[in-house]
Amino acid sequence: MTDSGFSRIRIFLLLTGLLCCIASSCTQEITRPYESIKYPRLGDIEMPNVQKVTLSNGMRLFLVEDHELPLISVSARIRTGSIYEPAEKIGLASITGLVMRTGGTTSKTGDELDEQLESIAASVETGIGLNSGSASMSVLKEDIDTGLAILADVLMNPAFSEDKILLAKIQHRSSIARRNDNVGAIASREFEKLIYEPESVYARHTEYATIDNITRDDLIAFHKKFYKPNNVMLGVLGDFDTKQMITKIEKAFEKWEKADVQFPQVPEVQYEYRPTVNVVRKDDINQSNIYMGHIGGLMNDPDYFALVVMNRILGGGFTGRLFKNIRSREGLAYSVFGLYSSNYDFPGIFYVGCQTKSESTVYAIRAMTEEVKKMTESEVTDEELALAKESYLNSFVFNFDTKGEIVSRLMVYEYYGYPPDFLQKAKANIEKVTKADVLRVARKHLKPDKMQILAVGRPQDFDEPLSVFGTVNEIDITIPSPPPPKQ
Amino acid sequence: MKHAIRKLSVVIGAVILLFAMAILTPTPLRAQHLDEFEQRMTEFTLDNGLKFLVLERHEAPVVSFHTYADVGSVNEVLGITGLAHLFEHMAFKGTKTIGTNDYEAEAKVLAKMDKIYDAIKAEQRKGPQADKSRLEELQKQFKQAQYEAQKYMVHDEYEEVYKHAGSAGFNAYTSFDATQYIVSLPSNKVELWMLMESDRFCNPVIREFYKERDVVMEERRLGIESQPQGRLIEEFLAVAYKAHPYGIHVIGHMSDIQTITRPEAEAFFKKYYGPANLTIAIVGDVNPQRIRTLAWKYFGRIPAAPKPEPVETVEPPQIGERRVTLEDPAQPFVVIGYHKPGINHPDDAVFDAITDIIAIGRTSRLYRSMVKEKKIAIVASAFQGLPGNKYPGLFLFYALPARGHTYQECEQAIYEEIEKLRAELVTAEELAKAKTRARASLIRQLDSNSGLAAQITFYEVVTGDWRNLFKQLDKIERVTAEDIQRVAKEYFTKKNRTVGVIETAGPEN
Repeated sequence: MTDSGFSRIRIFLLLTGLLCCIASSCTQEITRPYESIKYPRLGDIEMPNVQKVTLSNGMRLFLVEDHELPLISVSARIRTGSIYEPAEKIGLASITGLVMRTGGTTSKTGDELDEQLESIAASVETGIGLNSGSASMSVLKEDIDTGLAILADVLMNPAFSEDKILLAKIQHRSSIARRNDNVGAIASREFEKLIYEPESVYARHTEYATIDNITRDDLIAFHKKFYKPNNVMLGVLGDFDTKQMITKIEKAFEKWEKADVQFPQVPEVQYEYRPTVNVVRKDDINQSNIYMGHIGGLMNDPDYFALVVMNRILGGGFTGRLFKNIRSREGLAYSVFGLYSSNYDFPGIFYVGCQTKSESTVYAIRAMTEEVKKMTESEVTDEELALAKESYLNSFVFNFDTKGEIVSRLMVYEYYGYPPDFLQKAKANIEKVTKADVLRVARKHLKPDKMQILAVGRPQDFDEPLSVFGTVNEIDITIPSPPPPKQ
Repeated sequence: MKHAIRKLSVVIGAVILLFAMAILTPTPLRAQHLDEFEQRMTEFTLDNGLKFLVLERHEAPVVSFHTYADVGSVNEVLGITGLAHLFEHMAFKGTKTIGTNDYEAEAKVLAKMDKIYDAIKAEQRKGPQADKSRLEELQKQFKQAQYEAQKYMVHDEYEEVYKHAGSAGFNAYTSFDATQYIVSLPSNKVELWMLMESDRFCNPVIREFYKERDVVMEERRLGIESQPQGRLIEEFLAVAYKAHPYGIHVIGHMSDIQTITRPEAEAFFKKYYGPANLTIAIVGDVNPQRIRTLAWKYFGRIPAAPKPEPVETVEPPQIGERRVTLEDPAQPFVVIGYHKPGINHPDDAVFDAITDIIAIGRTSRLYRSMVKEKKIAIVASAFQGLPGNKYPGLFLFYALPARGHTYQECEQAIYEEIEKLRAELVTAEELAKAKTRARASLIRQLDSNSGLAAQITFYEVVTGDWRNLFKQLDKIERVTAEDIQRVAKEYFTKKNRTVGVIETAGPEN
């Protein structure tokens, strides 16, 4: 399978009169070192004009024209979420979000909507996640009236037909049955439960019983509670005229009336730092999935900017310490990661982890712990700091390379109560971060001796027993059987 | 919690992949868009055979680069399976001037390592008769040389240069057909890319090879051995193909990954990475004249080399149904594949129309009958493009049975839908919808630099002309209901199919 290769290679001389003539071949080292390249000034970023409008019913619009392609898309954010569903009905928000669209409206069945939308290559979809609801529409520009009418109908008048509720429940029950088939999903799910507590709104998950408890009346009530125009933001992007579009949207939603929305209290995350050792037995795999860490933070913490820099040095892509040391130097893993994650409105998680063959599980845990420790023990190098900051600043332009991401970012900031120029502020603050800042926030926020460790795999094949780290708690992931059918 | 880095990902056979491939499957276009694209496109070929496609798109001061190497796992033979992908990993390790502080000295140590490694392999081949103390001594020497080589290495320099420059999406991927290297940069960094990418394919140095082999073994455990559907797909392909290299998964056999040597990787590079085997797309805020100038300067220095021969092995017609059953603790799954011609066959557009009608959206036949009405599946779909497009591939149907339902029910339901395609003409509405959606889906693919760069290199290399990205639409426009029936009758036969199933067994529920 080898080849005589270069013997057949003709050596070419470069022929271009446009340049200082560099004639060369692979055997002649002509490469200018990359330092000597002079970069022209980067072209200006054209900031789109985002028009913000509040309709008389309280709905907030964010509009951006983009005439490159004959398309229009809408994406809505609704303040709701599974954090507001009762513990005995986990899955209610998700099913409500899905069946709003699939179950049709008071005037059209879901199947009729499917036909109508797909015949014009359009889509309208809805969903509810952890702490927000979404709705999206995408059409060729000539179909905007049809698309808007359906979107409005779905948001305002969902019918929640019983057959589509049943379908959604089948999907959920099947997902429960399949949830232990994917080892990566087991690891992240069980790790989140370790950090937030299993019954927390941020970690809990569906069971057969919670799906069984959900009724059509629950869906109707959940929708009624949150879906009011004053609780909705609508981002509109594409090939349209802003003024005309505002009129169209106003008309589509004119019958939707403003009303107060009461949000149930959500318990705050309480976290006690403690080292724990946990294992999930999974016999059909030859590789351990490892997560370790503790609670993380919020984006409005003044330390956030230095933590961004710290993250890039510890776990940032191919050049972070974890990747370099665990993957490139040691060959221990294909995928290795680490992040002190900060969320907008509830604490994130600090985690490091990787997947490594069963026989190097304990070795990898030690190696990753060492990397976390090092972050808290000494300052990062000048080169590391420079790389982290420069890469952030030089790639900043990619935050603005599509109009869609600009408008959706504005909506996210508004949704979570962050200033519209939060990203620019972050940039200014990140420019100021020093090595001392990185060490200070690492010492304050990382607790390498109080990490919770989780390994999913075959403990009988580990290089050493996990008990070298402390008392091992075995997590049983057996899926609870469904309750007997109700009469 | 989903931030795991998936660098250099090999194409892994799992449902996720199936969806990804479905998206990559050729989609059509409209004449006015083609005209407009012609105006923004500059094409040129260097004397050494390297082809450039430069598409101007001045929406933002950024640019995406896409290098398509016309070499994939399909070019491997037994003994070096997995090497196309392993080489892709090595292409991040630097060159004679990047990643080293003294290449001459480093090269000597690397050559020494190769020699010791050969001696280790020779000793190991003796099996039980191997001299244990000699093996130990050799392994010690090998470690020592590995340590010595580290002294000359500037670790991760190649990656850090891009990172400093503000790169986004720096990555590569290997499939059955091709190996592709991608990165996006602020548009004032064009010359940096020229230097870095040309040096990568002019002066590559295969360093940290034996550690990277370990990484790829972990990638194999991750994507194949620890995933039920990954385990099944590897078996399924091996059964569907008995002659053509499409039958061996991109990731390669474990025993090959464990024993491939650095000189084998170098030889593979020499054979398959000549400039005539590379096609490069540059899409974004660039000046084509400057690109041309810089391309000649940097890539023009790569010596020409003959374009390697294509794979000559042809999969013989299948003469009877094939089947593989995996008894596994996981929930059931079924995949059914029918051999079909490659992308350049006239029937390819007919398969695209079939895909739309039976598999895309809530009105598609498989979703409607299996998910919505019979409620026996939570996913039921179909697509083409696996294992690849260049050589005859498979048209695949698959389903995830709903809880309490079996793969047998789903398999049967799929056959019923296939029988309908064979027995009756599809409706005019279905066909019209497929054509409308083909147009719209093309338009929706035109709004990203990196997406466009991927599409135009794919069409240029695999179909011979990037314009086929658009012309594909005309072919779909011409598809008739009779074509669909003919194709279904011709290809969707029992003897032409391979069935793979996961049958739930073992202690877990």
